[in-house]
Amino acid sequence: MGKNKTELLCNENAKPVVRKKINTTDMRRFVSFFILSLILFSCDPKPGVGWTRDIYVPVYSTISSVQQYDVEPAKPTEQAGKIYAYQNYIFQNDLYEGIHIIYNKDQNPVKVAFLKIPLNTDIAIKGNYLYANNYTDLVVFDITDPQHPQFVRRVANVFPQVNQDYPPFTNVYFQCTDKSKGIVVRWEKNDSIPVPNCRR
Amino acid sequence: MTAFLFLIVAVKNSIMRKTILYFLLAPLLLFACEKNTSGPSTSKGNETTGQGGSLATFAIVGNYLYTVSESQLKVFDIAEQGNPQLKNTENIGFTIETIFPFKDKLFIGSPTQIFIYSIEDPANPKKLSSAISPTVMRRCDPVVAKDSVAYATLRTNGPCGGTQSVLAVYNIKDITNPVQVYTVPVSEPYGLGYSGDVLYVCDKYAGLMLFDISDPYTPTQIDHNLQDGIYQDVIPYQNTLICWTTTGVILYDISDNRNPVLIKSIN
Repeated sequence: MGKNKTELLCNENAKPVVRKKINTTDMRRFVSFFILSLILFSCDPKPGVGWTRDIYVPVYSTISSVQQYDVEPAKPTEQAGKIYAYQNYIFQNDLYEGIHIIYNKDQNPVKVAFLKIPLNTDIAIKGNYLYANNYTDLVVFDITDPQHPQFVRRVANVFPQVNQDYPPFTNVYFQCTDKSKGIVVRWEKNDSIPVPNCRR
Repeated sequence: MTAFLFLIVAVKNSIMRKTILYFLLAPLLLFACEKNTSGPSTSKGNETTGQGGSLATFAIVGNYLYTVSESQLKVFDIAEQGNPQLKNTENIGFTIETIFPFKDKLFIGSPTQIFIYSIEDPANPKKLSSAISPTVMRRCDPVVAKDSVAYATLRTNGPCGGTQSVLAVYNIKDITNPVQVYTVPVSEPYGLGYSGDVLYVCDKYAGLMLFDISDPYTPTQIDHNLQDGIYQDVIPYQNTLICWTTTGVILYDISDNRNPVLIKSIN
């Protein structure tokens, strides 16, 4: 249902959304809508976006780059994510990028490596094996030497795929997707761009 | 993200307590989402299992890895090390945000409900109960459980969230029927965890709050908050308190659990 509607609205040739001039025949409907809007949206105003609430843009990638793992030198944390403790090590996700590996010997913690796992958000560890999400897949690394994780295997297609056509929200505008740019790996909120043609 | 947190100020006035209880009753129905034992990792032979925070979406119990994403709970058999086999997919029906294993139960946190699953049969989680939050504006995430008590932070969502964010205390002697027994107002709470008789609660404005839980159903705030960053979640791990902050990780020595001593901040 939502999909049909979305496709219908996702016409690249459609004119930009503009407010129509209100004539008197529409006035009653407009007033009703306006009041309803006030009630529904008064908690979360988004000045400057007209009637819309939020705008989402697709973030693209390709399967080959999503599956590119690497052990990199320690580096600064950009978007600090979830934490995990295992023996003398602390692991911290860097949102959608991978895992910082911190060696905590004698209460002197030091970053020792960064395990790049694209789109990763969480991990768990048992018996020297690290399990991580990697887009739609579960990937396993051997961390017998935690400073040099080794890729072991992938279990494909066990996590939900991001919707390729529209963001997981309603009452929003979004940039129409373009399959030639790759796969949509997530939807990011961005209210600073012009109102796009697609909405749902 | 949803949030729940707790207030630091213990509400001692019974009328006020009653009022707050009434307000918060519904949203607080969430229960354990986090695992916070102060002891070392569980270990069988050489197969040590690590420990996540209260905002985790992955959890290992025995030979099984449980994950939550969107509305699905997945069960992977990891008995053969490093070779996970997907055993089961359970559709919870709501967006899931956190998973907290406690004994042979899973506490699954969603924005509006807490689901409690039995994993007595580990490959086939079985729903025991759910607690519905009456206030849709509220969202409940992290929960930790200890013995017969569970703590959850319930965060109001935005300026129109209605009622006060709280730290909620549940009696879980009957785990299929958690009963809220106490709440403490807090400002904007996130993750939480405990070590011994001290409960640590992350709050965006107050910092890291400490509560004495020697009387587990009536937490009382210990008088100093830590404010070395903006705290998201904690893992009390042996003598170290590992804190996720917005810039990275901060570690404290909690050999004296009431007086955390800063070890280092890692960004």
